[in-house]
Amino acid sequence: MIDRSEKYLYTWRFIFLSSILFLVGAGLVWRMLDLTVIDRAFLKQQGDARTIRTMVLPAYRGMITDRNGEPLAVSTPVDSIWINPQDFDVQDQDIPQLAKLLNLPVNSIKALAKEQKKGFIYLKRGVEPALANQIKELDISGVYLQHEFHRYYPEGEVASHLIGFTNIDDKGQEGIELAYNDWLQGSPGKKRVIQDRMGHIVEEVAKLQDPRPGQNIVLSIDRRIQYIAHRELKKAIEQHHAASGSIVVLDTVTGEVLGMVNYPTYDPNVRHQARTENYRNRAVTDVFEPGSVMKAFSIATALESGKYSPNTVVDTRPGSMMVGDNEVRDVHPVGVVDLTGVLKHSSNVGTAKVILSLPKTDLVNFLHRLGFGNLTGSDFPGESPGVLQTNVTWGPFVQATLAFGYSISATPLQLARAYTVFATGGKLLPVSLLKVNAPVQGVPVLKPKAAKQMLTMLEAVMESGGSGAAGQMEGYRAAGKTGTARVATRGGYDPHRHIASFIGLAPVTRPRLIVAIVIVDPKKSYYSAQVAAPIFSQVMNDSLRILEVPPDNVALVEKQKEV
Amino acid sequence: MSLSLWTRRAAVPMLYDRWLLLASVGLLSIGILMVASTSIVISERQFHEPFHYLTRQVVFLVGGLIAGLVLLRVDMEFWQKTGGIWLILSLFLLTAVLIPGIGRTVNGSTRWIAFGPVALQVSEIAKLSVIIYLAGYLVRRHEEVRLRMIGFLKPMFILSIAAVLLLKEPDFGAVVVMFATALGMMFLAGARLWQFIALLIAVGAAVGGLAVSSHYRLARLTAFLDPWANQYDSGYQLTQSLIAFGRGGWFGVGLGESIQKLFYLPEAHTDFLFAVLTEEWGLMGALIVIILFAIFIIRSFQIGRQAQHQGNLFNAYLAYGIGLWVGLQAMINIGVNSGVLPTKGLTLPFMSSGGSSLLVNCIGLALLLRIDHETRWRKLGLG
Repeated sequence: MIDRSEKYLYTWRFIFLSSILFLVGAGLVWRMLDLTVIDRAFLKQQGDARTIRTMVLPAYRGMITDRNGEPLAVSTPVDSIWINPQDFDVQDQDIPQLAKLLNLPVNSIKALAKEQKKGFIYLKRGVEPALANQIKELDISGVYLQHEFHRYYPEGEVASHLIGFTNIDDKGQEGIELAYNDWLQGSPGKKRVIQDRMGHIVEEVAKLQDPRPGQNIVLSIDRRIQYIAHRELKKAIEQHHAASGSIVVLDTVTGEVLGMVNYPTYDPNVRHQARTENYRNRAVTDVFEPGSVMKAFSIATALESGKYSPNTVVDTRPGSMMVGDNEVRDVHPVGVVDLTGVLKHSSNVGTAKVILSLPKTDLVNFLHRLGFGNLTGSDFPGESPGVLQTNVTWGPFVQATLAFGYSISATPLQLARAYTVFATGGKLLPVSLLKVNAPVQGVPVLKPKAAKQMLTMLEAVMESGGSGAAGQMEGYRAAGKTGTARVATRGGYDPHRHIASFIGLAPVTRPRLIVAIVIVDPKKSYYSAQVAAPIFSQVMNDSLRILEVPPDNVALVEKQKEV
Repeated sequence: MSLSLWTRRAAVPMLYDRWLLLASVGLLSIGILMVASTSIVISERQFHEPFHYLTRQVVFLVGGLIAGLVLLRVDMEFWQKTGGIWLILSLFLLTAVLIPGIGRTVNGSTRWIAFGPVALQVSEIAKLSVIIYLAGYLVRRHEEVRLRMIGFLKPMFILSIAAVLLLKEPDFGAVVVMFATALGMMFLAGARLWQFIALLIAVGAAVGGLAVSSHYRLARLTAFLDPWANQYDSGYQLTQSLIAFGRGGWFGVGLGESIQKLFYLPEAHTDFLFAVLTEEWGLMGALIVIILFAIFIIRSFQIGRQAQHQGNLFNAYLAYGIGLWVGLQAMINIGVNSGVLPTKGLTLPFMSSGGSSLLVNCIGLALLLRIDHETRWRKLGLG
């Protein structure tokens, strides 16, 4: 047996086959070296290109609060759920659960998954983190989360015009959100991550840049006053079937805007229903010919001139006068009255006579000093400067119309601001939409004496028999002026459309607030005395109480008690 | 004759091949470690629990070791006598798996027959059965194989039947391993040289004909040579595998740190385990595994050579066969992983996740140890 087998050992074959195997093995070893060392840079780079991603870390957008720190615009972390139809497993047993969590029909999810050409479809945006986590735990192939911030506006439609809103990319589009976008928005961070093929982050390689959160903004407005103004404006506009309206509440000490509302409004949280025209913050962007509220400045000009005192007699008979070729008329002739009476009864003829008796530029210069025709400095995007022509040569009629509030256009905010001169003893205050901490220096534009006299005269307007009587309040003495202007249209004034306005301040003993009200095109009754003045008393009264301003009309309060 | 290795250890110092055992234990250990590393995320995704594949692998390893220990006690004569039965059983299983309802299909290949919770990959059993049968055949028909063409053709015919059945699954990799192993065994058994040369020429001509007749087929066959050209479809798996090697570098990214196994590389725990191993252990790890396989092949060849010297040809051919089988399959698998061979489903012996493969590898190891044991026994004059 040994002999026979020795014969068949085939030693060379054994060596030959072993050598081949050895050579193949050596070849593989070389290949290993080739891949792991020589070709490494290329392969690693190819690998990184497939696995390393740069992720954007969204930055927290700063909060907008009212003057007391109440939130008006807040960013909250949310997750958006999206699917990649190419990775999505339609057969996954958890899909009904997913549908239930997202409150979507199962079939619509499956239908989305059929869009095989797409790689990214949102299932639902802005999902709350707790719910998003439940979805994450289902771990369905092809379903992903994306961290985002969602902007919420707790006050909804009440403060929407002022605050504005952000778009889906968290950029300010309107209002404060737009004006202070750079301040509010942080800068997004970046990090480099390794992802597995399902898109899960496996490892954070490097944080390239930390997200820098945006800064907060404290507005001047008081959420409570804002709400009152909104409530009263809405009520009045619905009651009078008016087209639109605005209310501005100013602090006469600091010039801060404590409330600024418009109507119609919109809810920034559910914007898809809103009409873009309703986005306008009309109190700042829309100008109108103010009408009789301007007479206060005309009378102030007369007092400032030294030629007139509150008791100077003005003969307005017969209730109309010709200025050049045009007639100036009073709707209700007031006869012979003193200067206070001219203001109290809002006589066009009286005001025109007074202004025409003064140097031509007195009134227009005063109006210019009051800021008409210029931006208020509120920095609100889209603010209108209004129109005040100062360097034209105009005839006496234009001068006369300017005296009772035509031939000029202004925003409600400009008007409210101009009235600060009557509250401050002649100083015009700068207005601010942001909370002001330092004491404010006004610019003297009217003699203190004239300003004081004006305050008394404006209070007279609100006495019974005056045009602003409906603006009277229970506990506070108020001063103010009504205005009922026709709406200027192409080709003249529209006899059927009016703008009712009222601007007033209180308490007279120590003025604290100015409330300016503009109601555009009220249908039922267009006289300011009936439309705007009652709103004034509501808004002013409630606002003063919120600010805990002590009543100064004790006599009236007592009288009310007796009744 | 059927004395145990273990009870005689004190009396007879060296009755088993230490190197072979060491290499195999090394491969099995690294294999379990890598199956753990590669399969956890995949298992978590597929079964919502991390240890599905690892548990199965450990169970099969224990089963394989027990089977090996039992088979160590079985005389090689038993295998020589029953070779035909194993062949027929294998052909029967290879046929059965193709019958709808019996075979289980995964990734388009019908390779498994389920026995309760256990699914057997019949091609693994077939490979070993064919080797056992062929070893017996080469002994029985020794003269015929050496001197006549019919001796070369008859086993080729039987292999072809198995090959046709395997290609039906399809399992092209198993066919290649089976044929290459069989040819190697016949070459060492002394079959006439011109037959091999003729076969080489025939295969060469077939490939050449293919190249001329249908370019696209050849293109598909050679697409693996430039996987970057089709990196998002046909070349995807290979590019991911090559990236794994590149990421590995000299010393690897560390155990468990592979990125490629995170679904970038499909089959990371089975056919492409070696790529992930290289990613995590680097060139050093790859070399260790290659060296362990080299030791396995060298020892199995030496065991065969010693048996041949003693005139125990069945044992010799079987040892060569097992060495060639494990060696070729390892080389092809590593070749596929590293992109020098087209991608075909073949596991890395002793290491890849896959119960049948592991079980049959353990039996092959037991047979080698038994052959070596018998050789040593005879040398001591105890045979």
